[in-house]
Amino acid sequence: MSTTELHHATQGPGVVASARRRPLAIVAAVLFVALIATLVWTSRPEDYVTLSTGNASEDGTRAIAQILRAQGVDVRQSDTLAGARVTSPATSTLVIADSTFLADYQRDSIAEYPGDLVLVRPSQELLDDLDTGLRVTWSLDQEIVPAQCSDPDAQAAGEVQQLEEAVIAGARSTAETCFENGDGEAAYAVIDQGERRIAVLASWPTITNEHLDERGHAALGLRMLGRHPTVIWYVGDPFDPSTLTWSGSGDDGAAPPSELVANPDFLPPAFGPVMFMLGMTVAVAALWRARRFGRLVREPLPVEVRASEATRGRARLYRRAQASGRAAAAMRARAAMRMGRRLGVPRSAGSEALVSAVARAAQRDPRDVHRILYGDAPAGDAAFMSVIDELDTLESEVHRP
Amino acid sequence: MYITGWTVALVAVGTIPAAWAQDRTFAWLWLLGALALAGLDALLAPRPRVLGVRRTVPGSVRLTERTATTLDVVNTGGRRVRATVRDAWQPSAGASANRHRVALRAGDSVRLSTPMLPTRRGDRDADLVTIRTTGPFRLAGRQRSLEAPATLRVLPEFASRKHLPSRLARLREIDGQTAVQLKGAGSEFDSLREYVIGDDVRSIDWRASARRADVMVKTYRPERDRRVMIVLDTSRLSAARVGDAPRLDASIEGTLLLTALATKAGDRVQVSAFDRVERARALGTGGPAVMPALANALATAEPALVEPDWPAIARLVQSRLSQRALVVLLTTLDPSAVDGGLLDTVAAISAKHAVVVASVDDPELAALEAGRDDAHDYYAAAAAARTAVESDAIAARVRELGAEVLTALPDDLAPALADRYLALKASGRL
Repeated sequence: MSTTELHHATQGPGVVASARRRPLAIVAAVLFVALIATLVWTSRPEDYVTLSTGNASEDGTRAIAQILRAQGVDVRQSDTLAGARVTSPATSTLVIADSTFLADYQRDSIAEYPGDLVLVRPSQELLDDLDTGLRVTWSLDQEIVPAQCSDPDAQAAGEVQQLEEAVIAGARSTAETCFENGDGEAAYAVIDQGERRIAVLASWPTITNEHLDERGHAALGLRMLGRHPTVIWYVGDPFDPSTLTWSGSGDDGAAPPSELVANPDFLPPAFGPVMFMLGMTVAVAALWRARRFGRLVREPLPVEVRASEATRGRARLYRRAQASGRAAAAMRARAAMRMGRRLGVPRSAGSEALVSAVARAAQRDPRDVHRILYGDAPAGDAAFMSVIDELDTLESEVHRP
Repeated sequence: MYITGWTVALVAVGTIPAAWAQDRTFAWLWLLGALALAGLDALLAPRPRVLGVRRTVPGSVRLTERTATTLDVVNTGGRRVRATVRDAWQPSAGASANRHRVALRAGDSVRLSTPMLPTRRGDRDADLVTIRTTGPFRLAGRQRSLEAPATLRVLPEFASRKHLPSRLARLREIDGQTAVQLKGAGSEFDSLREYVIGDDVRSIDWRASARRADVMVKTYRPERDRRVMIVLDTSRLSAARVGDAPRLDASIEGTLLLTALATKAGDRVQVSAFDRVERARALGTGGPAVMPALANALATAEPALVEPDWPAIARLVQSRLSQRALVVLLTTLDPSAVDGGLLDTVAAISAKHAVVVASVDDPELAALEAGRDDAHDYYAAAAAARTAVESDAIAARVRELGAEVLTALPDDLAPALADRYLALKASGRL
């Protein structure tokens, strides 16, 4: 057992002291937390589609939908026209909100619908296709206008404020316009087409969460929408290619083949939150793995170079300089050295002694041996290589056992 | 502070309720809740400061041999502590399995053992000890590193000791423990004993036989207490890698084998590692203490990227040796060494002492010289041939100065050096 002292971790400076030492870091940390909190709390709700019954913001209609439900009306929102699937058009109200994005074949399918319709913020095309004889216009004055018509809903509402848009009845229109201002611009119109009744709410912000509690807006909206026990609510969507479906429409709501467009709604609704959570998991896993268990340890490495590096460098120099003569001389000197050692010819002996000894051992002509060992310097790679091959042959003959 | 994989798992589990709630705000709240819980866990975790550690290191270990260092961990706090301890060493110390889980009640201690398999010679330093204490929920904890200095000395491998028994047998043959024993150069009078049949009649000492009733023979043994000095060149050429290791490592192997052999033979060995200054030395010890002292001295010898100072080496040898000795220079026969004064040094030393110049050959040169695949190989062969011719010329000049030259491949250097020593001893030229 060693008698040395125990080592302990040193006391850290503490949170307060380190905060005093690095105030910027604390400010940055607080800002970061504030940013995250802001992102969390100000993140928009899931449904932010204008006039959607799930939208709780100013331009949504969640308030009126909730009131209707409280009154026993079944309010159902469909994301697609095909999803409407109205079971009994006679006892249902179909709400088409924001019809700007409807294609002509979609408007045709709506025109064929037999039940009651409520058009909120209608497009001119839809009004034309439904044969209402109404024209959409801007309403910029935001006047407060009285009902001034015989429609009981409008009379119950008393007065409303014209907001955003209005309709003007054409000369041959059968529509009864309500809440008209001096220029003939109406906030609301009703067309009775015999089997069905079409209510047009041009001044659409009156039923939004923001304006519902003003003047007669709530009364108008609730009476307009609450005529039947079922309300099917559709908000125009540029990514919806389908057509309206109801029992007896004889149509499955599929879009014509040429009109199929990419629909982002093929993903399940939980996809977003799940991906978000998985992403956060990856981020936390990164935090987990990023924290080192103690620092990296340095290894002081010695300098090591291959011993043959200088020789290889010399080989490249020979090659680049095409120094075949000098290279051949080196090979000849080395071969002569080896053969001389093998045959016992001393280094001090002259070339003639070596040549004769080698010629005897290899049983060759001395002139031939002399040419191989002491011949002219070869010019070019080919000559150089053939000299070396000859040297190799000669050496193998000499070293033959 | 650190978080564990459980925190990640907790966040991942949140995917299921998030899919059910279909709400991003819920996901945020789950994440923040999990992180807050982890933070609370870290707050509740015991402080790493309550653990005290003490390192115990074996004095030294031979390279490629296994050992273990111990780490005592003591809980000096008043709570039970669950922790993980990392016993960090530099990578070449080969400390595998250096993370230990401990669970200590108040006042308890535990002894942890970290297995080591060093991969490099020299002093291997311990790094920090890192302690992670775990919180009660195992989600997070606190982490702190602390200094606990320790050093493990890794001695040279001495792989050439496998050649020692055969060389010692040869030494005994020379030594006269075998039957034939003749007086000759390099041997000295040992003792008188009675004649037995088989002894050489020429070794009968007639004067001693006359004094006694028996016939006495003289026995001889090789001269003892010769001086051997080994100089290792640690200059830049010794840094070059031959095979897998620097030249210096082969030189150290040779030094160790020669020292072991010469010490057994009764000679006095001193070793010096030198480039421009003396880097390591082992002298003045004798008997069984020589080898540990030498291994210890050479353990930390590293090549230095400088030119050797040959005149200084000559002066060093002359100052250390007063009587005739065998001087072994373990260096590299390279043209640059000649320019630096190798020949003058050999000449100066060999005037008074027997000199052996030993050099490590590069096996790659032989491979280069045999290459005949393409034009580049031919030129490489020529360059290798040029190098070989140059070293041969230098070796010839060193021999002319009266010194012995020994060149061998890294693994063969040590036995070749031992053989050369035995040959010198047998021929009495020591």
